[in-house]
Amino acid sequence: MQFILSADGLMFQTLIKYPPIEIPQAQTTFISGDSGSGKSTLFKLFNATVSPSKGTILYQGKNISAIDTVCLRREVLLASQSVFLFDGTIRNNFVEFFKYRELAAIDESAINRFLHICCAYFPLDTACETLSGGERQRVFLAIHMALSPTVLMLDEPTSALDEGTAHRMMHQVKVYCQQNQITLLVICHDSQMVKAFADKVIILERR
Amino acid sequence: MNDIVNLQIWQFSLIYLLLLIVLAVMKKCRINQAKLMIVASIRMTVQLALAGFVLTYIFQNPHPAFTVAYLLAMTGFAIYRVLDKNRMLNRRFKAIIAVSVAASGISVLAFFIGAVVGESLFSPRYVIPIAGMLMGNTMTGVTLGLKAFRENLTGQSAHVDAMLNIGAKPEKILLPFVRQSLEMALLPTFNSVIGMGIVSLPGMMTGQILSGTLPITAIMYQIAIMIAICTVVCLSSFGALYFGYKTLFNQRNQISLDVVGRRYAE
Repeated sequence: MQFILSADGLMFQTLIKYPPIEIPQAQTTFISGDSGSGKSTLFKLFNATVSPSKGTILYQGKNISAIDTVCLRREVLLASQSVFLFDGTIRNNFVEFFKYRELAAIDESAINRFLHICCAYFPLDTACETLSGGERQRVFLAIHMALSPTVLMLDEPTSALDEGTAHRMMHQVKVYCQQNQITLLVICHDSQMVKAFADKVIILERR
Repeated sequence: MNDIVNLQIWQFSLIYLLLLIVLAVMKKCRINQAKLMIVASIRMTVQLALAGFVLTYIFQNPHPAFTVAYLLAMTGFAIYRVLDKNRMLNRRFKAIIAVSVAASGISVLAFFIGAVVGESLFSPRYVIPIAGMLMGNTMTGVTLGLKAFRENLTGQSAHVDAMLNIGAKPEKILLPFVRQSLEMALLPTFNSVIGMGIVSLPGMMTGQILSGTLPITAIMYQIAIMIAICTVVCLSSFGALYFGYKTLFNQRNQISLDVVGRRYAE
């Protein structure tokens, strides 16, 4: 089996020590563990928004400390648990995010396709300020799907969703990722979700 | 036409009587700042009296070294005041602020005295008062710009993180905050330029007219100093913010927002 991301002897500051980690390519890996076990930090280490105090991370066989971090983050994309959307319409948010990424905007049918994958069935003119927490989370996620990542890291993507919507959305996201050979990494506490969608589970412990 | 009334000490002292009115109003409205007002008045009197003695001495013994020393002290004090209000900034940011304030202040001063007035750069009579006005305004402008920068970034960590995570360049993420803050640093200066001559006769012009200068000369000086102030506020705020914000991220494109009281590694 081929691993797209792997880490060995990884340590963050002196607080968090990680076991050896291997993420299989184009599969869905769930990461769970108690709070404080370093799940979110692992994602930040993977996209190099923080640096490890010890250990190495390989992405496609290459040490990430030798990769330009901006390029890395465009491929290893993180949707963090604190949702951020600009004030303005959903369409405008897609435009803004794509501008920051230095990409040409995508057309409306493509935007709608990604919104539907994430169970966000809202008109594109909806002002994001008026959406609820769960609705914002889905729009936020749809934008990240649209940025065509190689690895998609979702930090508690369903935390503000009801169970039915969470399952439906996760199913559609996983199917899309499988079809497009995207490696999916998910931090999730819900054991039902893990059982239903994980190809592999990594459990982190506090040490 | 040098016929200004020389103030006698006893006449001059009468002005302090006006403070009694302020005190009375404060007492009536129960504003408990009487102590601050008295301390402020005494401090002002002492500081200005000292400045008066020093200036009298320097004017009577116009040695270039005195002018340079006075200028350095003023610049140092301006830098100290700005940094004192921004202690949480990293060291490189502070160094950039110091250089911006000093370089823009001194270069505009040199142009003003050397080219516009056509006097020697060591002439205390011109250098000291003009430098005081330039440095004072720079200090206020840069302080305002940095305050705006910190406030604009406060509560924006989700914004900054989200953009960083999708692979936006740190410059692209932070520049909008820089632009916004620079604008806020410049606005008060522009506003005071607009009101000039109608709402207020500015201090320097008033002073020159009182001491017998032709109003037209006083006005030219005033216009010149206002343009110089705009320039120096603009240059120093631009330098401090535009070069300073680059100290907030490293070569790994990791942003550290400790300017707003948040460390990145949390």
